Amino acid sequence: MPVHERTASLKRANEQLEAEVAERKRSEERLTTQHAIARTLAESVTLTEAAPQLLRAIGDGMGWAWGALWTVDSEASVMRCTHTWHAPSLDAREFDAVSREAKFARGQGIVGQAWLRGEPTWLVDAGSDRRFLRAPAARAGLRGAITFPILLGHHVQGVIEFLDRTVREPDTEQLAVLAAIGNQVGQFIERLRVEEALRDGEARKAAILDSALDCIVTIDHLGCITEFNPAAERTFGYRRGEVVGKHLADVIVPPSLRGDHQRGFARYLATGEARLVGRRLEITAVRADGSEFPVELAITRIPLDGPPCFTGYLRDITERKQSEEELRRSEALLAEVQHLSSTCSFWWCVATDAITWSKQAYQIFEVDEGLPVTFELIFSRIHPEDLPLVHEMMDRARGDGRDFAFEHRLQRPDGSVRRLHVFAHATRDQDGQLEFIGSVQDVTERRRAEEALSRVRSELAHVTRIMSLGTLTASIAHEVNQPLSGIITNASTCLRMLGADPPNVDGALETARRTVRDGNRAADVMARLRALFGNEGVAIEAVDLNEATREVIALSSSELQRSRVILRTELADDLPLVAGDRVQLQQVILNLLLNASEAMSGVDDRPRHLVIGTQRDGDDQVCLAVHDVGVGFGAGGADELFHAFYTTKSGGMGIGLSVSRSIIESHNGRLWAVNNSGPGATFSFSIPCAAEMRDR
Amino acid sequence: MMLTIALVSVIDDDESVRESLPDLLREFGYAVEAFSSAEEFLASDCVGRTSCLLVDVVMPGMTGPDLARELTLRRYEIPIVFITAQGGETVRPRLLEQGAVECLLKPFSETALLNALDAALRVT
Repeated sequence: MPVHERTASLKRANEQLEAEVAERKRSEERLTTQHAIARTLAESVTLTEAAPQLLRAIGDGMGWAWGALWTVDSEASVMRCTHTWHAPSLDAREFDAVSREAKFARGQGIVGQAWLRGEPTWLVDAGSDRRFLRAPAARAGLRGAITFPILLGHHVQGVIEFLDRTVREPDTEQLAVLAAIGNQVGQFIERLRVEEALRDGEARKAAILDSALDCIVTIDHLGCITEFNPAAERTFGYRRGEVVGKHLADVIVPPSLRGDHQRGFARYLATGEARLVGRRLEITAVRADGSEFPVELAITRIPLDGPPCFTGYLRDITERKQSEEELRRSEALLAEVQHLSSTCSFWWCVATDAITWSKQAYQIFEVDEGLPVTFELIFSRIHPEDLPLVHEMMDRARGDGRDFAFEHRLQRPDGSVRRLHVFAHATRDQDGQLEFIGSVQDVTERRRAEEALSRVRSELAHVTRIMSLGTLTASIAHEVNQPLSGIITNASTCLRMLGADPPNVDGALETARRTVRDGNRAADVMARLRALFGNEGVAIEAVDLNEATREVIALSSSELQRSRVILRTELADDLPLVAGDRVQLQQVILNLLLNASEAMSGVDDRPRHLVIGTQRDGDDQVCLAVHDVGVGFGAGGADELFHAFYTTKSGGMGIGLSVSRSIIESHNGRLWAVNNSGPGATFSFSIPCAAEMRDR
Repeated sequence: MMLTIALVSVIDDDESVRESLPDLLREFGYAVEAFSSAEEFLASDCVGRTSCLLVDVVMPGMTGPDLARELTLRRYEIPIVFITAQGGETVRPRLLEQGAVECLLKPFSETALLNALDAALRVT
């Protein structure tokens, strides 16, 4: 072989050898770099701690002059430079500053490219590549550049960037190594996150244990206490240090129950059959001082591998037990009282018409217990004749939202009729919705007794009246008989004197004079009687007729209600005062009301509506009218009505109307009656205003 | 047979009676003395001479029935005709039972008065 050939051959071999040596050197460097990185990541506990060493290891190991770590600022959706490194020989002050200020969106610049694509980006010369955006790189003499992503799966956590002072051709092997490093760092970050989460969890668990209101006690598979939280310390009176390691049974289970506890625990361990685990139960526990108290206990098995351990949650329920007992006693008392007094309570939400009632209501309404309570059900029990009254009262309550009270009858399925008194108090719930809370009492027996009493009372009143009438008659008789007696005697004497022969004229004159005198005396007696029972002594004052009417309604409302009369008032607002005797006018109003009620007593085919109203009558009069839907009066009856003893009633004297008319006439007013165009009649009176009285 | 005019004594607290009744009785033909009270009558000298007594039931002080009892005690047997202005129907039977000749209710007629006097004087 010629020399030049051998020389060339040697040179080639030498070059090949050099290349192999260089290649081996590079492999070793990469290996060294990867080792350094693995060690760094293993030893570091935060990214901040790991980052400078990572950058230096890669930069030194792979011959780069400047490096940086970019992480995602997820709030601004950009990447920012958090760490930089440079070779000692490089003046990187300006470029460092620019990089630290820079931010790149996804796809923007070389950093954004690595972020967007999730793979390394290699620039042969950053100075001539438009993808590189930081001009000061050129001033620092930086040319070749690479960025690669820190990956967790396909998710880019950050980007690592390196630049060098030389133009660098892409090196596929280095790219592969750097890609692997990117993955390693990604896993490191994930590890940090998991560890942090674990630390958080531990801290949270400790915080929960410490601050829990419930006692939390954990035990191991031998039944020994491993955890005893502050609430448990407070409740049981032990310090944690005193009881950890002791058998749970010896600490908190009363001596009498320890056997059961230990048997149950042993059975669970042997068979897995749990009577207590996973359930909530009430048991007795014991404190350090030996006192026993009720606790609620829930035991759960801690889901960990290895021998079973358990967590017990205990709560002192002494107070709850006491209030439960008090509540039970109070409920029992209420139920008993309701039973004894035949009273039930109810709650009515007006907006939804929902009704809730107490147990006694089922008995009163004779409804099967447990049936849903609806108005339909209630109405089906109400006496048909009282339904209009009940509807009227409910409509009124809905409208004005005021307390109400009324009585109605109930017709039970067996046909028996009961009398109920309803009282309700209006209130508002949290949302301002109208509600009524009230009671319903069965007053059948009471009303029966009252009616019997009332009968006795009216009989008594009748007897008293007859007796006083008798006394009155005797006294009037005496007053009148004396002069009458004188008149007859004197007249007899007079006749005899005149009939004598000769006539005794003087004597006759004397006796005739006495006769006249006694006649006058009798007339005086009658005058006194008229004064006693007549209209003398009437107290005329200014009277508010509306107010007087309201008082009469208040006095007679229960009587009207007992007669199932539905009363409506239509009192004029601007009514002038009238001139009159308040009591007498009220007697007239009462008389008209009771007459109207009486006239409707036989009405069963329609609601017994009664309307009492006041209004002005012309300029100087006030009119009051009472309208009923009763039997009215027959043709030509209007005049008869006012005769002293006319009556359409079976009982009663019917004297009221004539007295009423004379009272009204003594007030310079008039009282009249007309039949309605519909059923019933309207009685009205009209009297002068008080102003009119003063003018006269 | 001695002819005497029978004396009728009238006792009443009402002046109009004392004024009118004696005149009528005199027209009938009797002698009459009038007293305003039972006490006044008892104190007078007429008690022994009275043939018939016309006396009010209700008077201040001694009442008519009181006087009747007093006269019985004193052993006078004078026929008594009561006159009254009130409640006569209830007291009349009792007074008759106790021995009164009659009980006239004011106002009474001339005939009723004459009948009562006839009955009283026939007893004697």
